[in-house]
Amino acid sequence: MVQANGIRMHYQRIAPTGPGPDETMVFIHGMGTDSLASFHLTLAAPAAAVGASVLTYDLRGHGRSERPDTGYTLDIFVEDLAALLAELSITRPVHLVGNSFGGTIAFAFAQRFPDQVATITAIEAEPPTEHWAGKMDDILARAVEFLADEANYIWIREHFSAHQERLSRMAAQRVLSTSVPQEVTTGRLMTEQDIAELRCPVLILLGSEGYQADGLEHLSALLPDAELVVFEGQGHSVLVEQHRKVRALLLDWVAKHAVAVR
Amino acid sequence: MTDQVSVRDAVFAEVVALLTQVTGDEELLGFTITPATTFHEDLQLESVDLVGFAGDLGEHYGDRVNLAEYLSELDLDDVIALTVGQIADYVAGRIAGVRS
Repeated sequence: MVQANGIRMHYQRIAPTGPGPDETMVFIHGMGTDSLASFHLTLAAPAAAVGASVLTYDLRGHGRSERPDTGYTLDIFVEDLAALLAELSITRPVHLVGNSFGGTIAFAFAQRFPDQVATITAIEAEPPTEHWAGKMDDILARAVEFLADEANYIWIREHFSAHQERLSRMAAQRVLSTSVPQEVTTGRLMTEQDIAELRCPVLILLGSEGYQADGLEHLSALLPDAELVVFEGQGHSVLVEQHRKVRALLLDWVAKHAVAVR
Repeated sequence: MTDQVSVRDAVFAEVVALLTQVTGDEELLGFTITPATTFHEDLQLESVDLVGFAGDLGEHYGDRVNLAEYLSELDLDDVIALTVGQIADYVAGRIAGVRS
């Protein structure tokens, strides 16, 4: 735990366990039921095994990090990451890997702190444009309404699993009970011009049936240095359902874009 | 053979002891932890608790036990269904592997 940007933040670091270029990789999880575990238990150990220093952390309102009632604009999530890196004395450019909303944070962070970012890997994620804000508002409003009805938890249990039901209850009681749904899309958004000015290389991994299927190819064409990989027939859960392929693509990507020489 | 069995039993007991530091003891849990006890469903722990527990195991046994590495090879369904016995077997295997 560390105190950063005014809150207690839960983070985990893994030192390199194998030989390779000493790159720092920072993993940013998604919104709702997510925590640092989804990266920590999938990609963190393999990344450390090829020489990377790994940082995973719980976003505010999630996992073991503090959950204030308010204070959830995208800018604040970006400032949290900046404060965490400063607290941990990580000054070299890092490879940001963001899942879903975590990827949106990565784009916004790279815009504000371009010198601190080596590359971005955005998994089922898009930059915070007006289009993103509209979509996010809609998804969050529907989630809040859906999870307010007890009958829907039974539906979730019957159609998915008891585990999913538990996660949904957690999301409703925790993140969605804060001001996240009202606040997260307020504040500064990125224009097409801003996106075109992002200097760092970007790897975009998305499912053909995911949340970003509606126009991310257009945005990736704007990015000066971007690679796009589409998983055909895959929904939003790219990280979970394609974790072996994601791992291979990511480790190859970081090796190709190494900023450090050991 | 007897040695292997006793090592596994001893490791299982150690794993349970470490785990109950997270969950509270079995009296508090209201049931006895067996090898078939699941981490999520039975112990009602979250994935983020599993991360903390992986750290506890690493501290206790050293770098040879890397639960995050072991879990990164599993699919999500297997992680959700993870049992205490599986963790103990993994730990026992790592210890045996390092010893031999």
